Amino acid sequence: MGVFEKKKSVWMLLSVGLVAGLLAGCAGGGGGGNAENGGDASNAAGSNSEASDAPAGTDEKVTIKFSGWGEPNEKKLYEDLIKNFESQNPNIKVQYIHIPADYAGKMNTVLAGGNAPDVFYAGDGDVARWIKLGVIKNIQQQVDESGFDMSDMYESAVDRYRYDGMKMGTGDLYALPMDVAGTVLYYNKKLFDEAGVPYPSAETPMTFDELVEVGKKLTKDSNGDGKPDQYGMGPAWWEGFVWGNGGKILSDDRTQFVLNEDKAVEALQFAADMRNVHKISPDARALQAMNDGQMFETGKLAMMIGGRWSVPVFRNLKFDWDVAPIPANGAWSGWSASTGYSVYAKTKYPDQAFKFAAYLAGEEANRIRSEQGLTMPVYKSMANSDVFLTPGTKPENAQVFLKAVETEQAGPWTYVPNNKWWDIINQNLGQMWEGKTTAKDLMEKIKPDVEKALREGNPELFQ
Amino acid sequence: MAHSHSTNIAAARAGRRFKKDYFWAYLFISAPIIGFMIFGFIPICYSVYISFTKFDGFSSPELNGLDNYRLLFEDPLMRKTTANTFYAALGIPIGMAISLGIAIALNQKIAGIHFFRTAFFLPAISSVVALTLLWKWVFNSDFGILNQLLGYVGITGPAWLNEEAWAMPAMIIQGVWGGLGFNMVLYLAALQGVPSTLYEAAEIDGAGVMQKFRFITIPGISPTTFFIVVTSIIGALQDFVRFRIMTGGGPNFSTMTVVYYLFENAFRYMNMGFASAMAWVLGIVIIAA
Repeated sequence: MGVFEKKKSVWMLLSVGLVAGLLAGCAGGGGGGNAENGGDASNAAGSNSEASDAPAGTDEKVTIKFSGWGEPNEKKLYEDLIKNFESQNPNIKVQYIHIPADYAGKMNTVLAGGNAPDVFYAGDGDVARWIKLGVIKNIQQQVDESGFDMSDMYESAVDRYRYDGMKMGTGDLYALPMDVAGTVLYYNKKLFDEAGVPYPSAETPMTFDELVEVGKKLTKDSNGDGKPDQYGMGPAWWEGFVWGNGGKILSDDRTQFVLNEDKAVEALQFAADMRNVHKISPDARALQAMNDGQMFETGKLAMMIGGRWSVPVFRNLKFDWDVAPIPANGAWSGWSASTGYSVYAKTKYPDQAFKFAAYLAGEEANRIRSEQGLTMPVYKSMANSDVFLTPGTKPENAQVFLKAVETEQAGPWTYVPNNKWWDIINQNLGQMWEGKTTAKDLMEKIKPDVEKALREGNPELFQ
Repeated sequence: MAHSHSTNIAAARAGRRFKKDYFWAYLFISAPIIGFMIFGFIPICYSVYISFTKFDGFSSPELNGLDNYRLLFEDPLMRKTTANTFYAALGIPIGMAISLGIAIALNQKIAGIHFFRTAFFLPAISSVVALTLLWKWVFNSDFGILNQLLGYVGITGPAWLNEEAWAMPAMIIQGVWGGLGFNMVLYLAALQGVPSTLYEAAEIDGAGVMQKFRFITIPGISPTTFFIVVTSIIGALQDFVRFRIMTGGGPNFSTMTVVYYLFENAFRYMNMGFASAMAWVLGIVIIAA
């Protein structure tokens, strides 16, 4: 019996040990803050020692991981870029992790897990959140020390990756821009010709009044069923309209919601009136049947707002089209989109990771990207050359994109780390688009909720 | 003496074998239990702790007492999403009535019965995502089949998913349809379990169709009805994938369910503490119900 007892107790001991081990393992994961801090410190020490005996450090062969999203052609492009980089830097191998779908969601998990890729894409709307979570490395010092030349880059592309501890737009740099995509007004030349309307100017934005006038001439109900078969203007990208009318969404210090002020409300109301009063734009109902891009492609829409990313698709269209600045009462306006290359805050190889990010954001990679027609280079001189303007291909007025990225700003979703305030605005705007409430009433009504969400989600702004 | 000695040995042997079997039994049980501990129990316990902290999922949690729970009851969106969830649950009785009706119809001996049963069960084995995308087209305001059918009877259908008043009814319709197959199969099995002798006896006593349904069928299938009610309520409280795909919670949060809002808080606003508190309140409601 004694033997059995002993066996039993050994088993008990084992199982208790196992469970205790599990608990300890979990507790370790939970209290990860401390361990992570410790890891940080040792990383910092590691990079210091690397810097001091540099020759030994550069001889070491390392593999860094890099992740990004993209269509198959973009994936292929990056495989080529990685080959180029590896041949120039024989001691660094790059392992490419392609994440085709739900990129931000998957990266959230990987980043929280603590073993994220050393270099990764960061969309301009995700950067702020990830900086605040402490997973994106402040690369300002590395930029300064390496002498990476950013003087020729578009400021609007670079500045959206700066963070000053409270808000985006100023402060230290946290990512290098991959690209910058301006948004413009696309128009169908054939429909303009048919209606005998002169093309929009490539230099001066149409005013709101002009837009209505032109839009009405281009809106047609050819079968007389009361529903237009051809619309003059696509749905408004209202942020650009607000800025273009001298309004703002948040105050400059990002603590107040100012979309309820006169200039902003006027622009919002105009955006809603385009469909409800002037009837030159499709309503939600029509857009559900066919979105603005599809309507434009099938010749049912004369003008629409869109990003640079539509160009490769539109080049296949049978009719002639061109681009113009986004309508505004005054200066050029609108938002531009961008993606950045970020370095993981806890990377074991900060030097090599930065080197790779700098290569991707460098001139060679930019040229290769542009030659594929994917996006616009972030370097002004390159954007202003045949590499990007590619004479002989549409659009004829490609220079509109140049001025657009110079004058356009980052979207409001890049302002602060927590975007609940932004979701509340968008969820509520539906009532205004449907014409059930005026812009003024709605903005006054949601101001307290938006500011509350802004305050609760981003307490560092209010300290 | 000798006799008792030998039984002692036999008993000891049996004991040994018994203990040995025990060991293996526990060993095999331990595999799923360890899995449950790692992926279930410990995280669940941890989430209790998290619900009393401010935690973004990355840095270390900071205790903040009952703040999350207090915010929960002050949050207008929490109230709205809870109300939406109950609104969506209106689909449960409707769906049950229809699936019982279909089950009764399919319980008859008619030609092609297997085909019909398969047809009605098909949605239950299809992917939620695929079905939701399909229904997005059904509800399309101009090209959708639903509005087209309404058009034949002279009704101009609404822009279902774009109007605050119609988005939730649309989701209920889709939910009812999606749940039909599974509930129907359960009812079908239950109907076949009601003894035919009862019906025969009732017929001899002169009971009509409605009386038989009211006094035999309904009591006969009541355990299944109870089961469906419970699982449907749990399902309704957890429902969010189709809302995320079909409406994104809009317009104006009119189709955002509690779990969807929980998901947004946890993974979009990185507010794990608040989300854990929500999860616990929701969990308690589910268990209580």
